Amino acid sequence: MNSKFLEGGREGFRTFLPLSVGLVPWAIVTGVAMRSIGLSPLEAFGMNVIVFAGTAQLGTLPLIAVGTPIWLIVLTALVLNLRFVIFSAALAPAFAGERWPRRVLASYLLVDGTFAVLSDRLLKATDPHWRWGCYIVPSLWCWALWQLFVMVGVFGAGALPQDWSLEFMATIALLVMLVPMCATRPMMLAAVAGGVGAVLMRGLPLKLGLIAGIFIGIIAGFAAEHWAARRRSS
Amino acid sequence: MSEGWWLWLTLFLIGGTTMLTRGSFIIPGERARLPPVAHRVLRYAPAAALAALIAPDLLLDDGALDPFNPKLLAGLLVIVIAWRSRNPWLPFILGMGALLAMRKLLGW
Repeated sequence: MNSKFLEGGREGFRTFLPLSVGLVPWAIVTGVAMRSIGLSPLEAFGMNVIVFAGTAQLGTLPLIAVGTPIWLIVLTALVLNLRFVIFSAALAPAFAGERWPRRVLASYLLVDGTFAVLSDRLLKATDPHWRWGCYIVPSLWCWALWQLFVMVGVFGAGALPQDWSLEFMATIALLVMLVPMCATRPMMLAAVAGGVGAVLMRGLPLKLGLIAGIFIGIIAGFAAEHWAARRRSS
Repeated sequence: MSEGWWLWLTLFLIGGTTMLTRGSFIIPGERARLPPVAHRVLRYAPAAALAALIAPDLLLDDGALDPFNPKLLAGLLVIVIAWRSRNPWLPFILGMGALLAMRKLLGW
């Protein structure tokens, strides 16, 4: 541990701390949602450590609950996680000089919040120790906080009445994630087309309607962006 | 629900997708770059996927279209709250409150 590492760690932690408070309700809701579909506390803890991605967890729970074919569950998780490819590509230069165990650990811990507030600092940093501290300290804090409050939800869920439609908390959580994304018109169109598409295509065999809806949404958003750019340039 | 080892297999595969996507460029370690078109297409994946998961829950009842139901009204309320307020608890409290009020008090 050297002083540059600690300095970077402090900077990263201070930057991420205010945002990390916002994780608490998510974590609790994820815990409650996992219990509400019938996962045991051990299974819920396992999912939380193995997957460690709130969106993928909340998004796949309803599918696990009704016994959806495994390939469709995994495909849905993959689509929900595709944004990480962008984050990973953006941050890769910051970790290119690290050895592989660190690159694996950095990948496992990569979440939206730390990426959003730290990526600028990480890419501009010149000292590798400072940079590693600035990433790993807030990321580990985020992991611990997430695990702790998911467990609060898992064990607190038992105290809530069974007939409270608690599974709706997962839908609320997904909505709260979606709303701020729709700030631009193409993104809003992608969401509307994805939702309408999934509803209209619900009759497709093998529950392919969900995947069809997602593709319709992606194409709609991309097309809207393309046309908006063309109109501006002409 | 999926049970036993089948459930654990599902969880490991879901976890595999998070490692695969998060590590896609960080783990190889070379300065690989994402083509700009892929970057632009991928940006729309989360919004489209979230909406595709949410819409059927809000609009369908047992597979049939039901455009006027308590979940949809509670969902619309959540959208307004999430859009207007930064408080992270409010959408959950008011959304669940509205759904329970409609179901329990109004018997809907």
